[in-house]
Order: sequence, then structure tokens, then C-alpha cells
Amino acid sequence: MSRASGEEAMERKVKVPDEWIVGGHRFSSRLLMGTGKFQDAETMVGAVMASGAQIVTVALRRVGRIPQEDDMLGPLQELGGITLMPNTSGARNASEAIRAARLGRELCGSPFVKVEIHPDPHHLMPDPIETFEAARVLAAEGFVVMPYMPADPVLAKRLEDVGCASLMPLGSAIGSGRGLATAGMLRFILRDARIPVIVDAGLRSPSEAAAALEMGCDAVLVNSAVAASGDPIAMAAAFAQAVVAGRNAHRAGLMPRGDGAAMATSPLTAFLSVEGQ
Amino acid sequence: MSAWLDPSTWLDGKGSTPADVERALGCDDPGPRELAALLSPAAHPFLESMAQRARALTRRRFGRTISMYAPLYLANYCTNGCAYCGFASDRVQPRRRLEPPEVEEELAMLKEMGFEEVLLLTGERTSHAGFDYLLESVSLAARQFHAVGVEAFPMTAREYALLAEAGCSGVTLYQETYDPRRYDLLHRWGPKKDYLDRLDAPARAMEAGMRTVGLGFLLGLSDPVFDAVCLLRHAGHLRRNHWKSGITLSFPRLRPQAGNFTSTFPVDEAWLARLVFAVRIVLPDVPLLLSTRERPEFRDGMAGLGISKMSAGSRTTVGGYGGAEPATEGQFQVGDKRSVPEICAMLRNRGLAPVFKNWDSVFRDAEAGGHG
Repeated sequence: MSRASGEEAMERKVKVPDEWIVGGHRFSSRLLMGTGKFQDAETMVGAVMASGAQIVTVALRRVGRIPQEDDMLGPLQELGGITLMPNTSGARNASEAIRAARLGRELCGSPFVKVEIHPDPHHLMPDPIETFEAARVLAAEGFVVMPYMPADPVLAKRLEDVGCASLMPLGSAIGSGRGLATAGMLRFILRDARIPVIVDAGLRSPSEAAAALEMGCDAVLVNSAVAASGDPIAMAAAFAQAVVAGRNAHRAGLMPRGDGAAMATSPLTAFLSVEGQ
Repeated sequence: MSAWLDPSTWLDGKGSTPADVERALGCDDPGPRELAALLSPAAHPFLESMAQRARALTRRRFGRTISMYAPLYLANYCTNGCAYCGFASDRVQPRRRLEPPEVEEELAMLKEMGFEEVLLLTGERTSHAGFDYLLESVSLAARQFHAVGVEAFPMTAREYALLAEAGCSGVTLYQETYDPRRYDLLHRWGPKKDYLDRLDAPARAMEAGMRTVGLGFLLGLSDPVFDAVCLLRHAGHLRRNHWKSGITLSFPRLRPQAGNFTSTFPVDEAWLARLVFAVRIVLPDVPLLLSTRERPEFRDGMAGLGISKMSAGSRTTVGGYGGAEPATEGQFQVGDKRSVPEICAMLRNRGLAPVFKNWDSVFRDAEAGGHG
């Protein structure tokens, strides 16, 4: 292949829009952002802008009925071009999450909801049983349901079957920065998923976000990794680059992993070539 | 002492070496043994590295935010004889309670100051300010505030369930000291003399579906290392048995107050700071509170350094938020008298966001109130 034709091929590839669709909505950015833990609204908005995120999640427990100084919704709504995804963080069971979701739809004017149910307030692991129940009810009510879930391939299929718009398995415990500790389970989920898979929680570095996209995840969601970093705005930009790199690598196709064994001098299949001679 | 609480295994008297402290700091899953090491004299030279660790862990879990709350003293009637308390029944001072319209006035003032979380306080259960009074006050507060806590007296599981149903999301109850002998000595009379009833109350609150239970001990009453290890054991016990409830920890330190009680176990700021760092290291995911008992410079320094939640603009007198001169004396002396905007400005200057609303009343009702 000549140099010129190689460039043409690259251009062709770029021209095909690399979009992903969730609940009938089209997005080009594969980085979703959380909005908690920032030192101020200005930094949060700066990080969201630097990330290029088109879907931004907001904890309902941080949203006031009347706009206040520490309100996160106001500055985000002013940004434009952003789909707000209220989350039910704080809910201990399905009925709390369902009520929070309905309130979130009213306050944010968005059909998206990140169902987040963690009854244990310490490690904040999602409750598979309550999450399933809330997802079932909310999907039937027409929400674009994005469940934050344990990286469980069977639960993934169950959530898909009740009408979730995406799956959001955790990479590792929320806020832990332990990266893709669930990689093995994520591969099972990815192999069989009919809907987008977004790694949510546990990522610490852009390289881990890139790895998730290389693996075939449709997107990642980060919050702590940006908000608790040394420079949140610069880190948001770094994640944006990593996600693009990871996605492009996935599209390009990684080379096969070598098993380290050299080609045997006497191949085991050598006998096959003698047939009919 | 109950086996699950007994700290003696971890305080075997042999003392910790610098190597023990280093092991504790390098440990993946620190527990009571590590806490004891971090509180030993051997850990003093590690203060700065403990502070660094505490800040990193706090930032990872809570980000660059500090949750804000305000106490509201409903009544200062008391039948207990706590030797160290300004509200003890033998202190001669005007006693009163806020009548419901006054409660509403004070709540409105706190709301005006920007608060969304309020902690309602009373003394021991009395005919003036008993359970029904508290329940009514919780209902009033829950109408306006997203998070309502109660710091009063030990209750039955049924009572805690009723509070939760009325909109109470948290109960705070300090054991004061976990040392049963010191406890008996300091609590001279009154229902509070019942050490075990008080020790068991947080579990009853959780059983009743309370979201959060605040624990702590009063620094200055007893050996603080003993109390700290007991506190960790108490927290661990509650977590194992009531996995759906959260725990918060506070570090109230005895200050000069109405009773002129002199502490036999004084704790200085450096030690208090080390305690907060050590607890943050062993409990990375638990909110740690610091009240306005402490002076401004100390509070400023500790914000985000383990501490994730603070009160501001607090009045510890009954009816303190109203314009009138307080008729009663406070439960303790306020060390940080700055206004809410001043505290917020300080936090912002330190790169921390004050968060007033970190909860939503939408999470009430569904299952809470003991129906779950």
C-alpha cells in the first residue's frame, strides 16, 4: 500500500462518524463525567468542558429545589450541548431510587437516569436485586435507564432484558482508583451485550480509560479521577485524549497477543501435509 | 465489658515501636492494632506523613468538599449528673425549652443562613422535653430541611422508628467514655448512669432503620487511646450487624465550661489532630466531623485533613439563633465564632467547596421508619 493510499484510508475511516447510540440518542464523545467532589462550580464546569463530555451525571441529593450557591445544576444548564443524567446516589432500595428518578426527570428535564442503589454506605457497592427492580420499573415508564451495576454478566443480561438503555458495570469500587479490577467479567459482558457498555467507577488514570475502550467498552464515566486529581481541568482533557486513543485502537484492532512460544521446528501438524502424496 | 468491644487485645501494654507505626502505615487493611500503633507516642514523629495520608484518603473519598450542618438546641432541661456538662442538673442556670413556634423561628433562621442539615439537641428525657416533644420538633424540621439529625437521649427501637418515620435521618449519641469505671464515676446520677443502655442505643437506632448514626467519645474524660480503640470496635460491630446504616464520627474535646470541670486526661491539639488522621487512615470511608468547639486556626487546618464535615455559625444556647440575648448558658463554649459566610470563604480559600445540600428528602418515607 502506497503512502498516499494509506492516508486516504485513514481519511475514509475518519469520515465515518464514530458515534454511539444510547436509548435512541446519538453521542460522539465516549467520556461521561460525574460532577461531585469538585472544589467549586467553576472547576467543575471547566473540567466538563475540557472533557468534551456530552453526558454529565448529577447527584439528585446535591440538587436543590430552589437554586442555591452550592447548586450544581445551574452552571451545567447554562453550558448547553449537554445531556444531563440525574443519578439516584443515596438510594438504599428500589422504591427510593424510583422516586428519586421521577423527581430528577422533573428537575433536570431529562429522560436519562443513572440508577445507583448502594445500601451499604461504606463501600457503596451497587445492590443487584434492588437495581434490577428499579431498572425494570423505570424502563417501563419510558426512562433511558443507565444502571450502575456490579460487573456480573448474568445481571447484565437480565438488565438488558427489562429494557435498560445501557449497562454501567464498575471497574472497581467507586472512588477506589483500583482501575479495571473486573476486567475478566467485563469481557464476558462485552461479548454478549446488545446495548452500550460503559465502565463506571474505579478508574484512576487515563491509561485505564484507554484500556477500557481498547477492550471494546463503548464509553467510560469518571468523576473522582478528575475531581480529586492535582489539576482537574488538565486531567479531564487527558481523559478525553485517552478515550479517543483507546477507541481508535479498538477500531484499528490490536495485534494478537503473543504466547511467547517460538514456532516448533517439527510442527505437530506436519503429518497433515503428507496426505495423498 | 462485652467481648466485641474489649480493646485489651490491642492494648497489651507493651507499647508500639517506630517499626509498628511504619507497619501500620504500610498496612493494606488497618484495624484496631494499627490504630493503637498510630496513637502511641512512637507515632508522634510520623505526624506529617499521617496528615498527608489523611488528606489523600479524604480527598479520594469526599473530594474537595466539606459537608455543612448546624446544631439547634431545643431544650436544656436535664436530670443527669454528668460531671463535665454545662447542662447537668446540679448547675444553677435558667432552664427552658423552645415552644414549637420558637422551634420554627430558629429553623427559619438556620434555613436563611443556608443550611439544609440540622441537628436537634436536648438533654436527658424529661417531662418538659421528652420523646413526644422531640418527635414534634423533628416533624417541624423535616418540613424544611433535607437532613434532620437528633442528639438527645437513648431511646427504644420503637421510638427510633417513629423518629425515622417523622423524617429523622440521623441519630448522634456519644458514649462519652467507653471505660465503664470512668463512666460510672463521671455520670453521677440520672438515667445516663446506665452504661450498657447507652452503648446499645446506636444498634437500636440502626435496627429501626435510621440512615446514619453518629458515634464519638468526649476527649478528656478517660484514656483517649483506650476510648479510640473501643470506638473503632463499636463502629466495626455496628457495620457488621447493620450493613445498611452509615456511621459518622466526631471528636468533641472537653473545653472549659459552666461546670468548671477539670479534665484529668487533657488532650492537646496535636494529639487531637493525630487522632483524626489515625481514624481517617483506618476508616477511609467514614465521614469525620469537627464542631465549633475548636478554635478557628485549628478548624481551618483540619478541614479536608481527615475532617469531611463541619458545623458553622453554631449557637449552643437554647434559642441562640434568635436576635435576643441568650437567657441560658451554652452546653459548651464555642471556640469558632465566625459566621457562615466567613467559614465558607475560608473553605473556598483552601480549595474546598462547602456543601450544604448533600441529601434529599426524596429518600425518606419509602422504607424507613422500621417498616423495612
